Amino acid sequence: MKKLFNVPDMTCPNCAMHLEGLEDEMPGVKSISASYKKLTMEVEFDETKLTVEQIIQAANEIGYHPEPVSA
Amino acid sequence: MDLIVAFLTGLTTGGLGCLAVQGGLLTSTLAHQIEQDVQAYAGTGSTQKFKPHIAQPILFFLLAKLIAYTILGYLLGAVGSVLQLTPLMRAILYFAIGIFMIGNGLRMFNVHPFFRHFVIEPPSALTRYIRRKSKNGASFFTPILLGTLTIFLPCGVTQAMMATALGTGSPIQGATLMFSFILGTSPLFFSVAYFATRLGSAIEKYFTRIVAATMLIMGLIQVDTGLNLAGAPFSFSRAISILQAYALPAQTGSSIEVTENGYFPQVLHLPANQGVTIEWVTRDTKSCARSVVVPGLDYQKILPTTGRTQFEIPPQEKGAIIRYTCSMGMYPSQFVFDLEPANQ
Repeated sequence: MKKLFNVPDMTCPNCAMHLEGLEDEMPGVKSISASYKKLTMEVEFDETKLTVEQIIQAANEIGYHPEPVSA
Repeated sequence: MDLIVAFLTGLTTGGLGCLAVQGGLLTSTLAHQIEQDVQAYAGTGSTQKFKPHIAQPILFFLLAKLIAYTILGYLLGAVGSVLQLTPLMRAILYFAIGIFMIGNGLRMFNVHPFFRHFVIEPPSALTRYIRRKSKNGASFFTPILLGTLTIFLPCGVTQAMMATALGTGSPIQGATLMFSFILGTSPLFFSVAYFATRLGSAIEKYFTRIVAATMLIMGLIQVDTGLNLAGAPFSFSRAISILQAYALPAQTGSSIEVTENGYFPQVLHLPANQGVTIEWVTRDTKSCARSVVVPGLDYQKILPTTGRTQFEIPPQEKGAIIRYTCSMGMYPSQFVFDLEPANQ
């Protein structure tokens, strides 16, 4: 499934790349596309292996606080 | 031209001239890296002295520039003058880059969320590819892109070298000539950029702001250059130089001294309603003033280092002003047609 998050604490373009780097570290994540311009992050993941809370937790650990956007 | 001569030209005059004109792009490269480093440093809570990793982006910038110019030299040798940008095209480019830099400076100062739109965000697929290729991959993109962009902002000496590459008529000779020249400019570029930025590590707290302020200043200079190259009646440097010139007695005559510091007189009064011939006089002139641009008359010429070059100006109405500058948008000067026609 795909899930969109608002990430208000991105401060520069490198934050987006930093967040996208999570896709190499989290099993179950297919891809992450983050945008500093929009302050958003879209995560495509396998919901049988991973929960939205786990994604938020992983982002918290690298210093960001994503908020899920309700569909 | 001998390749060693091309290298030595780059090492001396080329390095200085190009640093002045392409400094903006290099500042953008460093700004990007410093922003990353400040952020990483803040995250570590380290008590060690802050040291930005700027050697790598400077090297990537210079390497990209070297490759881009070598390819350009190859193309110039092969296809001739078709690729030469007109002064107006360069003016638009300078203007756009200036606006880009001012926008980024304001973004770094957090002035308004709107300025986030001035960021060049590489596509996710590209950053993913680069990230997986290298641990520090994300920092490759901007310096390489900006280093490549320098081919659109050649300084006066570079333009002269490009003209020489054009004259070789051989892709390989054109490429090796540009390679030697740009290689020659690199040590000075690296030293100035590296040591100037290193000095800043003593004041890391304000570093991002210093870079943002530098971006704003460089951006304003680029916009000013763009305005001068387009022959616009208003620009900061034009206002200053013309005010200085008007403080002196009105200058008449038919020759312009082209010196290391610009064109003299900066304001030359000429007769209206009749064709006039001006002589550009160079005397061992090596600055970019040699590459003169008169946007309003669609005239651009690289003058000989020493010599007299005639320039015909068609009749102008009384009160008309024709502005000119060097090809880097420096030394804004003008002809004012406010004298009575001479008796024929």
